[in-house]
Amino acid sequence: MVRLNARQAGIAAVVVMLPAMAGCGYNTIPTQQERAEAAWADVQSQYQRRADLIPNLVATVQGAAIAERTTLTQVIEARARATSIQVSPDTLSDPAAFEQFQAAQGQLTSALSRLLVSVEAYPQLQANQNFVQLQAQLEGTENRIAIARRDYNEAVRAYNTTLRTFPSVIWAKTAHSGSQPMQLFNATTEAQTAPSVTFNLGPAQPGGAAPTVTPGSAPTAQ
Amino acid sequence: MIQLGAPALRQAFAALLLAICFLSTPVAAQTFPELSGRVVDQAGLLEPASEAALTDRLAALEAETGDQLVVVTLDTLQDYEIEDYGYRLGRAWGIGQSENNSGVLLIVAPNERKVRIEVGYGLEPILTDAFASHVIQTQMLPAFRDGEFQSGIVAGSDSIMAQLRLDPVEAAARAAEVAAQPARPDFPFGAGIIVALVFGFVLIGLIRASSAGGKRRRGRVSPVLVWAAADMLNHATRSGSRSSGSIFRGGGSGFSGGGGSFGGGGASGGW
Repeated sequence: MVRLNARQAGIAAVVVMLPAMAGCGYNTIPTQQERAEAAWADVQSQYQRRADLIPNLVATVQGAAIAERTTLTQVIEARARATSIQVSPDTLSDPAAFEQFQAAQGQLTSALSRLLVSVEAYPQLQANQNFVQLQAQLEGTENRIAIARRDYNEAVRAYNTTLRTFPSVIWAKTAHSGSQPMQLFNATTEAQTAPSVTFNLGPAQPGGAAPTVTPGSAPTAQ
Repeated sequence: MIQLGAPALRQAFAALLLAICFLSTPVAAQTFPELSGRVVDQAGLLEPASEAALTDRLAALEAETGDQLVVVTLDTLQDYEIEDYGYRLGRAWGIGQSENNSGVLLIVAPNERKVRIEVGYGLEPILTDAFASHVIQTQMLPAFRDGEFQSGIVAGSDSIMAQLRLDPVEAAARAAEVAAQPARPDFPFGAGIIVALVFGFVLIGLIRASSAGGKRRRGRVSPVLVWAAADMLNHATRSGSRSSGSIFRGGGSGFSGGGGSFGGGGASGGW
């Protein structure tokens, strides 16, 4: 009888301990880590989507014989740099690697927006259906990147908070001591300043009517 | 002096706290209009008759393909960009089925002169950004520039519905995917088994204790087990009610979102 009761007590202890551990936040840290890493994967796939669109865009702009050579080159170079830097989930807590990734993608963002603003001066490109579609896709991708970054920041903020708040901080210091806070996206200086564009419409420019077109101020044009 | 001023101070402190709460809420909380139906005409751009007709067609679309398209007109975007407002609104309402995120929002903000087609994750391959942009540029903006909001909205939503029905095989597969999803049991069976086991042990313990006539033993072991069982039950009912909350799809007659999510697909335009 006594032996049976000891076994009963043991089972009872296990049954009680499991939900109690879960209740005390033992599972919170891995759960939120997974969530943050999934959000990161989404950020990367959206950036990849943008990188995949760029060769098409460059080809279309070049095909229209646009004399924006430096802007195009900047986009191509920035894309090459951005795609060469990848951050794996394991290195998300490394500030240097994250900073590099963000800087490279930020440079690509600003190079792209400079290109898109400067080609607004070419009506032959605005009439190109392929270009118009690409532009819509790029805008959508930029929007998705912004949302993916925001979702990632939210997931990471929740994760970082559990690493520092009671009761999950107990697990963070003991069983999950390998869990490090992850890095957050912050608004870059490129994002805060609108791209400045100088229209190099020199004598070599064939589109004579181009300089009179002010971007975005002709609602009846469509 | 402190005694005299204490209630006043406390009141002032409470008022300050309240003021801080009120000051901080507009920044933190974004309010959305109520999801009153498939057409939420907050800005009053649609005639009642065409609103009803549009609602019927939107309901037919969902019956056919499982996709939820909701038309929204807004008085104000509350100083948000329409892209920013749109995906939050879609997530807040949970438009689209939770199984495949098949929701679309057509948002018109006449005061900001902005329009957006917000596409849920699952429909991004069908309603591409380029298609959404094309619909806005060719079907909607020309009418909006003439102030013909109703015809623009109807033309735009008809184009979206046509695109969603374009491939009947694919559309049927989408509808089947939603229909085939079995209603998840509200009661977690894993936890149920554990609860049953614990109750079994309690019962065995009680029977053995009473047959042996040992009052002391019953008094010592059972409460632990009863407590464990209660704890398990508590956990089970809590998780049960939570999962049923996400499955429950609103009241009987009204329309509500299926729990779909948005990630910024679609396109916007302005006039």
